[in-house]
Order: sequence, then C-alpha cells, then structure tokens
Amino acid sequence: MKAKELEAVMIEKFPDAPLRRDETGMTGALWSIVVPISIIRDVAKAFGSAGFFLESITALDFEDTFELVYHFNCYEPKSRLVVRMLCGHDQVPQSICDIFRGAGWLEREVHDFFGISFSGNTDMRPLLLPEDADYHPLRKTFGKVSAYHKREEIYG
Amino acid sequence: MAEQDGTQAYRRIYTLNLGPQHPSTHGVLRILLDLDGEYIVKADPIIGYGHRGHEKMGENRQYKQFLPNASRLDYLSGMLFNHGFVLAVEKLVGIEVPERAKYIRVIASELNRISSHLLWFGTYVMDLGGFTPFLYAFDDREQILDILDSVSGSRLTYSYCRFGGVTRDIDSKFIDMTRAFLKRMETRWADYDDLVTKNIIFIHRTRDVGIIDAELARQYGVTGPNLRACGVAFDVRRIEPYEVYDRLDFEVPTGSKGDALDRYNVRFNEMQQSCRIIDQALDQLPGGDFLTKKVPQKLGPPKGEVYSAFESARGLSAFYLVSDGSPGPYRCHIRVPSFGNLNVLNEVLPGTLVADAISILGSIDVVIPEIDR
Amino acid sequence: MEKKVREPGAPVVQFALLDDILNLARANSLWPMTFGLACCAIEMMAAGASRFDLDRFGAGVFRPSPRQSDVMIVAGTIAKKMAPAIKMLWDQMPNPKWCIAMGNCAISGGPFEYEEQYAIVPGAHLLVPVDIIIPGCPPRPEALIQGLLALEDKITGGEGRNLLRRFKRVSEA
Repeated sequence: MKAKELEAVMIEKFPDAPLRRDETGMTGALWSIVVPISIIRDVAKAFGSAGFFLESITALDFEDTFELVYHFNCYEPKSRLVVRMLCGHDQVPQSICDIFRGAGWLEREVHDFFGISFSGNTDMRPLLLPEDADYHPLRKTFGKVSAYHKREEIYG
Repeated sequence: MAEQDGTQAYRRIYTLNLGPQHPSTHGVLRILLDLDGEYIVKADPIIGYGHRGHEKMGENRQYKQFLPNASRLDYLSGMLFNHGFVLAVEKLVGIEVPERAKYIRVIASELNRISSHLLWFGTYVMDLGGFTPFLYAFDDREQILDILDSVSGSRLTYSYCRFGGVTRDIDSKFIDMTRAFLKRMETRWADYDDLVTKNIIFIHRTRDVGIIDAELARQYGVTGPNLRACGVAFDVRRIEPYEVYDRLDFEVPTGSKGDALDRYNVRFNEMQQSCRIIDQALDQLPGGDFLTKKVPQKLGPPKGEVYSAFESARGLSAFYLVSDGSPGPYRCHIRVPSFGNLNVLNEVLPGTLVADAISILGSIDVVIPEIDR
Repeated sequence: MEKKVREPGAPVVQFALLDDILNLARANSLWPMTFGLACCAIEMMAAGASRFDLDRFGAGVFRPSPRQSDVMIVAGTIAKKMAPAIKMLWDQMPNPKWCIAMGNCAISGGPFEYEEQYAIVPGAHLLVPVDIIIPGCPPRPEALIQGLLALEDKITGGEGRNLLRRFKRVSEA
C-alpha cells in the first residue's frame, strides 16, 4: 500500500521529522509528520512521485507560532497523510506550486487569510478578498476573536 | 491604424471579462480571458465575489450555531454538507448514532445528490442552448423537494441532521412518496436519453471538449465526477465508507476519456445508482430511535482535531475542526471540491474556443459560494 | 391653487390616463435581470421553472443584460467584492427600474451578519434603492411570486388596480 511504503521512505530519508501514527482515526489520516521549514519541498517531491494528490493546505494561528497543515491523499483506502510545519509569524516558507500545480491557489488562499507569504509562488494576489484588501481576516489579531491559545494548550 | 502588407495582418490579444454577472457562470465567477480572435490564449478565474467569511464565523460560533452555515456552503448539496458537518462533530465528541437515523440520513443525502445532479443537468443543457430539459429536470427536482420538505421543513438549505440523529422521524407518507418518486424516475431516464444523450447537437458540443486526463486531475486535486470521468474510480463512499454505505450495493460509474460527454455520462449514471441506494436503504430500514437520547446540551469536546471527509455531489469534501475544549471550534476549515475543479481551468481553457469554454465550465459543475466560503 | 411639487425621480411630463395605461403595461411585463448571487438564486430559478412559472405574470423572460431589464432581483448575500458590480449594474439599467431584495441576506445581511463581520454588505438598501423586500432563507418561490405581485401593485398605484390580473385575491372574491 502506497501510504505504508511512503511511511518507510519518510522514516529513512527524514529521520529528524517526527512521525506519528493515528490509531483513533480522528484526524482522518494514517500518519502525520512534523517537518521543519527547510525540507518541505523534498517531502512534497516524495509525495508527488509516489502518486499522491494534495487535498488541502490550511494554517492555524497560535500565539507563539503559525502551523501549516498539508493534507495529502491517494486513490486507495486509508491513505490520507498529514504534513505539519511550524512557521514563525514572520517566516516565509517555500512554495510547492511547481510540484503540485494546484498548490498555487491554495497558497494564495493561506496568504489571503493569514498573511503567510510563500517564496517561489509568483502569483500572490488576493484570491478571495478584494484586490485592495490589506487585512488578513483569519489571524487571531483581527476582528472578533473568541480564543487565542499557544500551540501546546491544544496539542500538548 | 493597422497596417497590412499583404502577408501578415496585425493581430492583437484582446482581454474580455466573462462575468461576474453572466447567465452561465453558475454563481458569481469572473474569468479574465485573453482572446486571440475566438481562441482563448490565457484564462484567469477570479473568485471571491461570494466570500461570506464562513471560516471566521466558525471560530466565533458554537458547533450547534454553525449548523445553518454548513448547509449554505454548497447550497445545492445542502443536506450532504449538513450531514458531513454533523458527522465531523459526532466523531470529535464521540456520539453514537442509532441505526435508523443512519439510514434516514443516507436516504436524505442520496435524494439531495439526485436533486443536485438534476439541477446541473437542466442548467448545463440550458447553457448549451436547449431549454426543454431544464423544465423537465426542475419538475423532477420539485418531487424530491416535496419529499424533503415534508420531513424537514425546508426546500434548499436543511438543518435536518443533528448531532446524534435527525430532527424528526420519517413516516409512511415519506416512504410512499419516495417509492413513488423512484418508480417515476425509472421511466424518466429513457426520456432524458431521447431528449439529450442521443441528441447529435449535444454530442457534438460535448465530445472531446475540455479533456482532463488523470495526471492533470492529480496535480490539481480534482475529485468527484470530474475525476471519475478520467477513469479513476475514487468515491469516498467506497474508499472510506461512513454511515451505512458499506452495507449498500452500488457501482461507481467511470468514464475513459475525461471529456465533457464522459462527465455528463458519469453524473447521469450516478443518479441511477443513487436511486438504487435509496431503494436498498428503504428495504433495510430498521426500527428504533431517530435521535440518540444521550447528547448533552453542552457539548464538551476533547482538545485535538478531527478531519471528516464525505462525498458531496461535487466531490471529496471535508470538515477540519480544531477544538480547544470549548463549545466552539478554534479553527474550522472546509475542504471543498469545487476549488480544485475550478483551478484546473487555468490549464484546460487555453487553446479552446469561447463557446467551448461555456460548455467546459458547465460540465465541471462548480458552485462558487462553496469555493469562496 | 397650491403648486404641485414634482417628486424626485418622477418624469417631468406627466399624462394621467396614459400613465395609468403605461404603468399597467409595465407591471404586467416586468423583465427581471439574472442576478443570482447565492442560494436564493436557486429558488429564483425554481420560480421561473415549470411548477411555479413566473411566465404567467409576464416576468418569465430573464434578461442577462442590464440594459434590457426592468427589475433587478438581488438574490443572495452581497460580498464586499461584489458591491461595486451591483452599483454598476444598477446604474446601467434604464428608467423606469425597480429593485427587489430577495432573501434575508439582501435585506439585512441574513445569517451572516454579526458584529465585526468583515466580508459582506449587510443589505442591498445600502447600495441601491429597494422597492420590495421578500424575507426568507431562502424564501419559497411562492413568496417570490407574492413579492412580484406586490411590486406590480406598487407600480399600478395600489391593490386591485391591476386590471389585467386574471385572478382575484381571497379577500376580494
């Protein structure tokens, strides 16, 4: 099964990226891996050549850090995999839009909502907000916010 | 003035706006087209004209206050999204659902899928110029809306599925109406075949138009009938079965070429498979509760996250909820299939004619407020 | 004799009986502009389809171009990005023109309005002058027909003045 083969590849190629299997099924994924910013493109290339597609890119805003969450999937049962990346509030992660062409719009949306820029993505115009928008609505410093936590308060 | 030296005329790329107010864009979509005569050189879909801030609202609402929002994301599959959101919260909190409620939810969801495909069918052929199937399809759709209206009270945006079951039980009137509808549709498929599928103009306008192959679909995350038309049999109801889909017998129709005609055929066959699912579910319907009695008034979800995927009428949709233990989500992200389905037009439209662009846009079946969230 | 002050927006030259006949004609052939923004658009389409048939009121011809239509039915939530387009379309429509705000979102922002909502314009009346409001989320097609008949009454100058209406209201019968 592709997901299990990829798990072995990940453990071998990226030993400093902790991989955690999900037994409960709550995250909807077989396993998730936390990667540092510098190797996101290599991880994405490994997923791409294994035949996975990018399901969604989203971000979470915590007091101490942003967290980018990539969901990958392939066309077999029980094959959803999650790649998580911690990214500081001013850091600029690399774009994967040449590996997965659909990532261009997904990164534009994350930039719209959170203000995270992606280096290598030439088209960072607003996707969902008006062209002259200079605010980033999903940040917890914008608008009405009911809770703002640090990352370990939720993920322990 | 353009100068002509006899061998080469002066050519210019002309930029044209398709939308946001346009009868065929299915919502408020704007595509910036660079045209060379009638041929499209570059297509740039511009979205956001229906952005309502669902994700920010999700962070400021409790789970039960977000129920109406879920339906209004993709209003054509309102019941499917309602069902999907309720599944996500039940997975997070750990609520058991009685068997009867599961079957009722599956029946309602499949009826909604048929009504969504019928509306797509009517408007697609209307975009291509044929007005009659629109009236036939809407008449059939009204039968479904009558059925769902009698049990839930709404025609378009439902909050029928609740945490732990459904709001009201279905009675014999619902079952009779549904069976009468299924019987009526058995004769209608042949009518639609004669009207549309065998129509030579329709075939000429959809065959080999807007071909999406499997590799392009993988690059852009295309799912749903658009992906199945490329030959990939990926249906969440089969791959990650939820509710009672593993007990029901149905096929997943696929195409081969990935053109507009294949997408039409896949959706047409899906409607017939949904009728099959409803028939089996009505046969297998058990007695019992329709709403579990053990749902607490105040939902106390654990800290963590849940990602719950389901098959809406347009493809793989999912709710991603991050919970911090409070009655509302910390982050509510919705994965919508129309996002990737529209994104792929960046590569499919260049090289086609403007008239074919309308056919392609109609065949991929996007709902723009779902993309805009 | 007191001098009659012309209402703003009223035509300069006014013919009494001819106005009545013209209003009768306008009321019975209102051509809406296809302007569905969100969910209410589907109920508007259903109202124009076979069961609820807007065509029997003369309003079944949905014109895509604003220059050819009489009434703009704002059906759906107005996002801030869309607001300039609505204004532009309204300005392009020739007089006499009317506007119907259909659905809770077009009336007041609907279920999407909360404090510090950043994304929508809470109501079409903030952009264009609205004549008729039709509440509902989404309103049933029968409600849209009721709103259209109310607009016809507004145009002809009162209830019961539409002589071409071929059915009686329950209270009149």
